[in-house]
Amino acid sequence: MLDFKLTQHQQEEPPREMVEQKEDQIYDLIVVGGAPAGLTAAIYAGRAVLKTLVLVGPLAGGQVATTALVENFPGFPEGIAGAELAQRMQSQAERFGTQIVMESANEVDFSTSPFTVRTRSETYRGRTVIIATGATPRRLGVPGEAEFFGRGVSTCATCDGFFYTGKRVVVVGGGDSAIDEGLFLTKFAREVVVVHRRDQLRATRVYQERAFANPKIHFVWDSVVEEVLGEQTVTGVRVRNVKTGETSVIEVDGMFVYVGMRPGTKLFAGQVELDEQGYIVTDQRQHTSVPGVFAAGDVQNPDFRQIVVAAASGAVAAIEADRFLAEQAHTT
Amino acid sequence: MSLLSKEIAEQVKQELADLAGPVRLVMFTQEFECEYCAETRQLVEEVATLSGQLTAEVYNFVTDKEKAEELGIDKIPAIAVIGAEDHGVRFYGIPSGYEFTSLLYAVRTVAAGKPELSAEGMQALAELSEPVHMQVFITPTCPYCSSAVALAHQMAVASPMVRADMVEAMEFPHLAVKYQVMGVPRTVINETVHIEGAAPEPMVLEKLREALESAGAQA
Repeated sequence: MLDFKLTQHQQEEPPREMVEQKEDQIYDLIVVGGAPAGLTAAIYAGRAVLKTLVLVGPLAGGQVATTALVENFPGFPEGIAGAELAQRMQSQAERFGTQIVMESANEVDFSTSPFTVRTRSETYRGRTVIIATGATPRRLGVPGEAEFFGRGVSTCATCDGFFYTGKRVVVVGGGDSAIDEGLFLTKFAREVVVVHRRDQLRATRVYQERAFANPKIHFVWDSVVEEVLGEQTVTGVRVRNVKTGETSVIEVDGMFVYVGMRPGTKLFAGQVELDEQGYIVTDQRQHTSVPGVFAAGDVQNPDFRQIVVAAASGAVAAIEADRFLAEQAHTT
Repeated sequence: MSLLSKEIAEQVKQELADLAGPVRLVMFTQEFECEYCAETRQLVEEVATLSGQLTAEVYNFVTDKEKAEELGIDKIPAIAVIGAEDHGVRFYGIPSGYEFTSLLYAVRTVAAGKPELSAEGMQALAELSEPVHMQVFITPTCPYCSSAVALAHQMAVASPMVRADMVEAMEFPHLAVKYQVMGVPRTVINETVHIEGAAPEPMVLEKLREALESAGAQA
């Protein structure tokens, strides 16, 4: 409660060493997305002295920003607060001259080069683009979920956990996020009921052990949530056992959903190749189907979804962007 | 013991080095200080030392009732950020965690007297004919909340019809219950309209209009 953070959430004055950009100037690289992949790309691009712009959106860090404690990013034996890690990445990118804009892209055009990326207030052009827009939480898509979203249904335990102090909540999911956030919720809730559609968790063993040892956490296996119930507030969820077909109601005050992520690729449909699930198709060097456009982080990799993997792919994308520009310079 | 580490204090000093004008941090507390009243007062006093343009004024909510009424303060701890004009920028509860940035941002905006909104936004706010009260409920550990607070404060600076409060939900649980705050940020406009999450400027303006229309007024 009594710590004081200095974060950026609005467009600030550009830091020193920055080249003043005017609208008709063309960036060497535009990075769309300001989380580990995008910010690492910016660090590498800055150090390669590329004129770089990062469109961060409202808050740096993506999924990292809402993670209470990151314990598996190398270099932090005591763990580090997610938001702090994100801020440090942003500061590091800025140190090497990257221009940071706290706005989101809302339109792109990769059909001609230089490429165009628009936000609601500006139009930017870049010779290369790295897409690093990450992923957002999937919803269950069951009745009551949308209705109660933000007032009983949430996808962010760090944001909303406090409001369930002394109450009973359901966490839907069986992976790392569900268990990690479920454990976090035990700081507030009197009981956390994990509803998972299988009889085994997918979460990292360390998390599983902690969860099984926690007296506030109970498990409902082989079950899915069918409906969120309530009047003014959430009063329960109806679950169905997928093996027996039996339904029952669990009385709870809230539901936290951690059933996976959806890639942030709506903007890029028709511009670069996407797979059936909407993830950007890339080769091993982060190239997309459009020469000069690269992708990094969760938006192109649903298999690993780790901060360090995202950061690595961001570095590779930036190195490849730099090579692409060098080749272009030689052939013109 | 100071609340702000030497490192943070240095950074704050730099951030506030070019303040466009003088700013008063007018803080209300009381003798038997409430949960975070003492810390909020200490924070205000510490921040005021970091810029020649900042002054801290501390009032007693009970014995300085008239001052509290003059500034529309109805609960404590409260901070009114006032520049050449009082734009109705308030913080209820301690602006710690991510809200510390909101405090500094409010100071800079009030000092300049100029908000950073779009032309359409400024236009829409200029057309307001009824008062608007925005209460942005937050918790200090919520990363998205400070954007919602910042936008609301921008609107307060932009229009004499708008006043905007950061309200820290953990210190005012009765208000969290009253407005059914179960997720943050949650912005309550004129008691009737709610916005979940950190909505972009056009959406917030829509909601302002909705709030005024539902009260039968033209916006």
